Amino acid sequence: MKKNHKNKFKTPEGYFDSFNERLLDKIVKEESVIPPDDGFSAPDGYFEYVHDEVYKKIQPKVIQLKNYRKYYFAAASIAAIVILTLFFNQNNSQSFGFDDLANAEIDAYFESNDLNFSTYELAEVVTFENLSIMNIAESENSIDEDILLEYLDENVDEIEDLNLNYDEFE
Amino acid sequence: MIAEEALVNELKNKETQTKAFEVLVNTYKERLYWHIRRIVLNHDDADDVLQNTFIKVYKSIEGFKGQSKLYSWMYRIATNESLTFLKQKSRKLGVTSAEMQEQLVENLQADVYFEGEEIQLKLQKALATLPEKQKLVFNMKYYQEMKYEEISDILETSVGGLKASYHLAVKKIETYLRAD
Repeated sequence: MKKNHKNKFKTPEGYFDSFNERLLDKIVKEESVIPPDDGFSAPDGYFEYVHDEVYKKIQPKVIQLKNYRKYYFAAASIAAIVILTLFFNQNNSQSFGFDDLANAEIDAYFESNDLNFSTYELAEVVTFENLSIMNIAESENSIDEDILLEYLDENVDEIEDLNLNYDEFE
Repeated sequence: MIAEEALVNELKNKETQTKAFEVLVNTYKERLYWHIRRIVLNHDDADDVLQNTFIKVYKSIEGFKGQSKLYSWMYRIATNESLTFLKQKSRKLGVTSAEMQEQLVENLQADVYFEGEEIQLKLQKALATLPEKQKLVFNMKYYQEMKYEEISDILETSVGGLKASYHLAVKKIETYLRAD
């Protein structure tokens, strides 16, 4: 900041350096046929809106549960059934055992067959005794409760079939 | 004027990043918007480019070395984003850049966020005939009232070169506006 020692007035930094340039610009504008305003405008409240929009976009994204996840669970359950069945029938089967099946063959079977199991059928073969939905919701990488409920609402036909303990959500 | 160095440090620090980014957006959103708008002309496009500019700034702040001012760096990003946006748009429409410029100016007549009259429309037509650099320099100097030094930092061109571009642009536009 430049000080005037006689009367203590001050001017902004670089004021005199840019004075000539600003004066010339003004003269050019006053003599010119070019309009001083170019006519652009922005919608009312746009600058408040854009601030919020930018903020939304830089927030870390929550990865949504995809529909295919339920097929993974189904496939895992079916794999358990197949393994158990093969294990118990091993003594009766002379020619083939589970060890004879390559993993690729099991994978191919699941991929090529539509295993249409209901929630109840899956619940019968997979034990959830030590696992409740709250374990998932409260785990380290917890899923937001609203997102979880929204997912279940969209992807499960009969939400009552899940036998949720609604008290936990109240 | 915000203390740039302190703000850059805050932007690089995870704990202070969010607050500092808010200061950054609030300080520059209007200036950058008008800069972008004068390149892309349409409000919706300017909105997209402005948001992308801030997101790019946020993601690249770690790489900002402070060789230029934060202000100049952001203007440079905004300029590049705007020009890239226009190139992509013309490619998508299958027209040349010049054809698209004409189209953009034509569209201004129906744009609710363009309050210009005949003279302003004619000005945009004149600007559409200028080379990219002259158009940028003219808008930055005449309408954004930036100093040559600031424009020089942003466009990485010498002050002498900018002065020549500006005077040429003014002459061409005046000639265009005076013609019937």
